Amino acid sequence: MRSTRNVVEAEEAPGTGHYSDPPLLVLASLASGPKHGHAMIEDIASLCGTRLGPGTLYGAIARLEQQGWIEPLPPEERRRPYRITGEGLLVLRAKLTILQQFTKAGLKRLEAL
Amino acid sequence: MNPRLARLLVCLYPRPWRERYGSEFEALLLAGRGGVRASANVVWSALCEYVFPTQGGNMDQDPNSFGAILKRPSAFLPLAMSLTALAVVLGHIAMYGAAREADEGAAAHIWQLLMAGQMPVLAFFAIKWLPKAPRPTLYVLGLQAGAVLASMAPVFFLNL
Repeated sequence: MRSTRNVVEAEEAPGTGHYSDPPLLVLASLASGPKHGHAMIEDIASLCGTRLGPGTLYGAIARLEQQGWIEPLPPEERRRPYRITGEGLLVLRAKLTILQQFTKAGLKRLEAL
Repeated sequence: MNPRLARLLVCLYPRPWRERYGSEFEALLLAGRGGVRASANVVWSALCEYVFPTQGGNMDQDPNSFGAILKRPSAFLPLAMSLTALAVVLGHIAMYGAAREADEGAAAHIWQLLMAGQMPVLAFFAIKWLPKAPRPTLYVLGLQAGAVLASMAPVFFLNL
């Protein structure tokens, strides 16, 4: 519902869309190690060019934590890092596999044109 | 981002959310560049949090708390009906004055329907919630009684 909205785009080149599924982006970002909010925003921006808005990021974090796919670590001053859980890794793998199949099939169709 | 603006933006979120994420979220806002887009994003997300609240962990509202019970239709409907009845009476007084009329008009009938119609709802609410959560239910019943008295007061005091 709100997960794919409110993404503050980094650069908007004509014809190039940014991938914007905040929960998936957060999971993918945390797959390379625990991060706090600001580090996640920067990592996601470098990963796919999408700069998540702060509200969108924390909306995704809150829901992922509620689902048990990420967990908070002890805070460092006021910033709190998060890490992906075992269940979160399974979900990320499953979602990325589906995306990969979808991408493969889509590109194949494009090649046939 | 300006610390004052960051604090203000955090305050837009519901209290349970603020208690859980407020401090770290404010730190994130302070670390960011801010700007209108980021602020608008936070305002929209805060609004979404009211409409689709995050649940789970320590953000679950106690279902038997005063706030949770007040959100039940059987709790707020009688309140709404009493307040509507009060608005009908006050609107009638504002338009036609407080003089007693020989024949009951539409406003009087609407008032009677609203006052009588809420009684079964009130009874249902009391029967359902008093055994489950006596204290918050009594507070809600007190609120409902206050609303009933408030809507009856002008009728009796002005002898309408």
